[in-house]
Amino acid sequence: MLELPEGIRERIYELQELSDKAEDDQGARQELRRRLAQEAPEVVARCSDSARTYRRLLAKRSSGGSPLVQEAISERARRMALKLAGENPTPLEVLLSERVASLWVLVELQEALLAAWYYKAEGASPGFVLQMARLQESSNRRYLGAIKTLAQVQKLQGPSRVQANIGGNQVNVSR
Amino acid sequence: MAWERRGSNLYYYQSERINGRVRKKYVGTGEVAQARAHADKTIRRSRATRSERARAELVEARTLASAGEELCEAADILAVAELVAAGYHKHKGEWRMRRRA
Repeated sequence: MLELPEGIRERIYELQELSDKAEDDQGARQELRRRLAQEAPEVVARCSDSARTYRRLLAKRSSGGSPLVQEAISERARRMALKLAGENPTPLEVLLSERVASLWVLVELQEALLAAWYYKAEGASPGFVLQMARLQESSNRRYLGAIKTLAQVQKLQGPSRVQANIGGNQVNVSR
Repeated sequence: MAWERRGSNLYYYQSERINGRVRKKYVGTGEVAQARAHADKTIRRSRATRSERARAELVEARTLASAGEELCEAADILAVAELVAAGYHKHKGEWRMRRRA
């Protein structure tokens, strides 16, 4: 359900190879630009779909079976992703901000699980707490990494839209 | 924890670890020993259930965490590809615009 389709996965790895080559090769960079313009929107769309499904799965687990809580978590994450992406985001900004929101839900879920076990009357074994803490640490690292990547893309690509007032009308122009 | 038979009598013992060595401790015989044995069995069962629950929870937490890994990797690859295509390169961990020749 969450796994990317084989074709999409292959195209992502092709893009990776091409971007490795494009670091020092002007021709490869042009090819990369062409491929991104042609293929990336579909690839990003498929990844975004899977990211949303993943978030719903996490929200379901976090909710403890309550549909209201599940919806509330999903909605909060959705709003977070929207806010992070900013106005008129590029498809990549949408994907990256959705990833941040999903990882936020994951980190929250892991914290709640760990706290629940930690404060249970019977307690949990130190080994269990240690493994859960490691898992949480790794998710937290990934979460912070995702925020950093989004910030880098937004900073380096500059504002992806220009807002102008023409004749009293506010106009958003995408790059 | 075990029952030991000597002749026609059953004796209940508990094992405990003291300074890394297992010691056998005599508990008793008769009804008192049976009550203790029953209590020990209940405690063992509840410990096993708890540890099974913890194991299942850990497996689930791992599965949930790893399910998003491929997506995270894909997003990273796409972000790097986009930046490289825009003319950036990574220099000592920092993205910089490539100088025009």
